[in-house]
Amino acid sequence: MLLSHSIRKKMKKLIFSLFILLISCIPVLGKELVLGEQLQLKETTKVSEINAQPDKYIGKRVQIEGMIINVCAARGCWMDIASDAPFQKIQVKVVDGEIVFPMEAKGRNAQVEGIVEKLELSHEQALGWAKHKAMEQGEDFDPATITGPTTIYRIRGLGAVIM
Amino acid sequence: MSWRRLNHVLHRDIGYLCIGMTLIYVISGVAVNHITHQFNPSYSIDKAEASVRPVAGKTAPDMVMVTDILKQLHENGQLKNVAMLSPGNLRIFVEGNTIDVELATGKVQQERVQQRPLLFQVNYLHLNKAKGGWTYLADAYAILLGILAMTGMLMIRGRNRTRGLILTCIGFLIPIAYLFVAL
Repeated sequence: MLLSHSIRKKMKKLIFSLFILLISCIPVLGKELVLGEQLQLKETTKVSEINAQPDKYIGKRVQIEGMIINVCAARGCWMDIASDAPFQKIQVKVVDGEIVFPMEAKGRNAQVEGIVEKLELSHEQALGWAKHKAMEQGEDFDPATITGPTTIYRIRGLGAVIM
Repeated sequence: MSWRRLNHVLHRDIGYLCIGMTLIYVISGVAVNHITHQFNPSYSIDKAEASVRPVAGKTAPDMVMVTDILKQLHENGQLKNVAMLSPGNLRIFVEGNTIDVELATGKVQQERVQQRPLLFQVNYLHLNKAKGGWTYLADAYAILLGILAMTGMLMIRGRNRTRGLILTCIGFLIPIAYLFVAL
């Protein structure tokens, strides 16, 4: 059965209005954003402590706190948290899609919980890893910056609160 | 009501119900299919270089210096935070802009990030960034699509039977054939 002209006109208006409504529903990162698992630990571990004695923390669940200084530009699958010590940081990596760190989180403070892990990369693996990271960020990659096998300590993120 | 009539009504009404969600998944599906390191389907990321007056001997940020740099760059966005990434390298976080300054040379790299209108919202839903209740709504939508397919199959009859069978077979064969070639 054909719809009358007025009903079609109304439906077009309705669909258009719904699209406008969808566009206006922009989730703005204005307040606290909780991602992944709820934080369980009562105590925070300093990033500088983890960086100073990383082997002590491998496999352990820790909670860290600090400023988000970088976020994966491709998929939001990692972020760098600034240390309490100058010029240091630690990477928080999450399973792609399980937690997505928004780009707007850069410059905000975060509490993160996760498991400390160690990656031991051969020279070739380290080159591939650094190249991949540079591509994700749309940056130039200089192979000369990787001079040999690399050990990376990072946190496998389970939950985060972005403040 | 006969089962054929019921099947027809279900197919029609579920079809109506799925229009909105299908359009969301269609738009986002195409966009996320083309994710590359150069294309983020949810954000537009623009990098630009600039320069400011060099600042010598600073290892910690101070507000006078930061305000001056922002003024030179004509950046009026809301200041979020400041960090020294290394001695002589300052990062300023402004709403929508991340500014890296090499203090000794005054070289600046800006990264402006903006949500892509419509694409950000549809990707947010499609990629289930919302989690929580949306997970169940998306599951319900998937089940409805399944019902739509089943009720559609039961409608293959009458004078359109041959055409329906051929098109349905093609629909099954395309992914199977692709798997044979790809794997």
